Amino acid sequence: MSNTQPAPVASEHVALKARKVAFDWQETPLHWVPGDPFTTHTINVLHLLLPAGERWFVHVYQQALPYITDDRLREDVIGFIGQEAVHSQAHDDVLPHLRRQGLDPTPYTAQVDWFFEKLLGDRTLPPGRARRWWLMERVALIAAIEHYTAFLGDWILNAEELDRRGADPMMLDLLRWHGAEEVEHRSVAFELFMHLDGGYRRRARTWALAFGTLVFLWQRGTRFFMENDPGLLDPKASWADFYRRGRAGVLPSTPAVLRSVPRYLSRSYHPSQEGDTAQAVAYLAASPGANGGR
Amino acid sequence: MPRLATVALAAGAALLLRRAVRSRMRSAPLWPLPALETPVSGYGRGATVPRRVLVTGRAVPAEGVVELRLEGERLPAWEPGAHIDLVLPSGEVRQYSLCGDPARPDVYRIATRLIGEEHGGRGGSREVHEQLHEGVEVEIRGPRNRFPLTAAPSYVFVAGGIGVTPVLPMVRAAEAAGADWRLVYCGRSRASMPYLADLVRLGGDRVTVVAQDESGHPDLGFLASVPAETAVYCCGPEGLMAAVTAAMPEGRAPRLERFSGPAPAGGTAFEVELRRSGRTVAVPADRSVLAAVREEVPGLMYSCTQGFCGTCVQTVLEGEVDHRDELLTEAERADSMLICVSRCAGRKLVLDL
Repeated sequence: MSNTQPAPVASEHVALKARKVAFDWQETPLHWVPGDPFTTHTINVLHLLLPAGERWFVHVYQQALPYITDDRLREDVIGFIGQEAVHSQAHDDVLPHLRRQGLDPTPYTAQVDWFFEKLLGDRTLPPGRARRWWLMERVALIAAIEHYTAFLGDWILNAEELDRRGADPMMLDLLRWHGAEEVEHRSVAFELFMHLDGGYRRRARTWALAFGTLVFLWQRGTRFFMENDPGLLDPKASWADFYRRGRAGVLPSTPAVLRSVPRYLSRSYHPSQEGDTAQAVAYLAASPGANGGR
Repeated sequence: MPRLATVALAAGAALLLRRAVRSRMRSAPLWPLPALETPVSGYGRGATVPRRVLVTGRAVPAEGVVELRLEGERLPAWEPGAHIDLVLPSGEVRQYSLCGDPARPDVYRIATRLIGEEHGGRGGSREVHEQLHEGVEVEIRGPRNRFPLTAAPSYVFVAGGIGVTPVLPMVRAAEAAGADWRLVYCGRSRASMPYLADLVRLGGDRVTVVAQDESGHPDLGFLASVPAETAVYCCGPEGLMAAVTAAMPEGRAPRLERFSGPAPAGGTAFEVELRRSGRTVAVPADRSVLAAVREEVPGLMYSCTQGFCGTCVQTVLEGEVDHRDELLTEAERADSMLICVSRCAGRKLVLDL
């Protein structure tokens, strides 16, 4: 069968706990990567997608919880839920700051809200097979999305070029705290999917859907920000911009994004093979925001 | 060759589709996704944003009372009746009503009476009096409003001692709105009653001052005949609020603001009924609702156990909740609670569990 259960790297497991965070946005400029609105807004798309997206993760996992028969996995999933809930709040708290600076995110976030609450919401399904099928489909989608959040988390923890270019330390701390927790809990979504279903066809199908949707929403979010940015005369955004910034190290590089695809689709994939828990935990111990701010 | 034709056809179709989508998106940039009518995201409730303010002034508006002037940038707007959470230097959190001018976006004012340990004080007011001097930076959360002033043609305010703090901006707002209002202001002695002169100047004979050392307890008999359209607000000691409640006409209740801040841990014992499972759980004074209910319902969701992540939220069907979380909005607090920290303000809560 297709259920080749890949073994996790055992040493990578840590107990998950939501951290209380504090980020003060008063000093953060609109273009928090100095002189580079494209990079700023490409990363800012996270603030558009994550409040609704991570709320949706929590919503779906609350429904999946009763099906879990492994106690350690249940603990992990509960820890995951707590962390995701705080991520959602922390990114949502950036949005009023953008609005104060003349960039109102609500036309876009209202659509993302619709996307997660209606299109990917519970729907009126009869209890039984249909409802379980829809739940498994969403659990698999989350596993695929978490492959990319872990990828981005690992990337931001190592994106030293952003520091060199003088990016706002508060924003970097938010992204790295979030990224580090994504790396820390990167195995949970995949393990839950393998525990409840694990079918390879579903994994491949939901990966394609998640990847396509992420690319669609992301480029759209970047364009939305660029077009509505009150300080920009030339709001153009292109794939070439993305590619060039990937080469410069201020955004993930296109080849690295492409290389992550076959890794997720490999039958021996396990998230613990990627990223570095020790680095993530070390960051979390030192992060000002994850330790109550300042 | 048929392969070449297929490729050419596909490429042509892709190009046409791209042009069609482009022109469609040019006319409506956010096509084709619909939007949620009442968006949820985008407003940030601020639970992860600390707000630091500087103590820039200290005054003594009455014996044993200190007023702090707190200054910060872009402080959120508030309405009469609102309070803030003040994080004291020890880390303890206390709630204080805002008593300044809501039109000032950069200044909050709070006032606190020193309550000694011998009178049941828990040390919060002592910290304010002894440690919060000019130049000290403190963290605040909120403001929130559990005691909102609703529009009414006439008002009766009853304030007791330091309970005048939320009432002061209310009286000013009522006066500014041209409403008919009267205030009964009680206290131990005139010297111990903050803002007394301001209120008398503002209201003249609409303010009835009842100082215990002169005239004993207030006569609340007039409340029995207040017209139905008059809103009655009361803030002060438990005894005063009970007296006002008792003096109201049959079937009507005054709006009350309770000053019992959250105890650091635990509190009183109470019962929680789990309506759907038909069970009742006793919550002892030293345990959380979460801990007690988890024994009955093992699969319960929770994570941070400190009232910030929101994972353990439950729907409240009946009972008055003593909210101690840092997350829920006032609207959410109307029918839900975070069971890891919040408790019951009475004897029993009914949860949808």
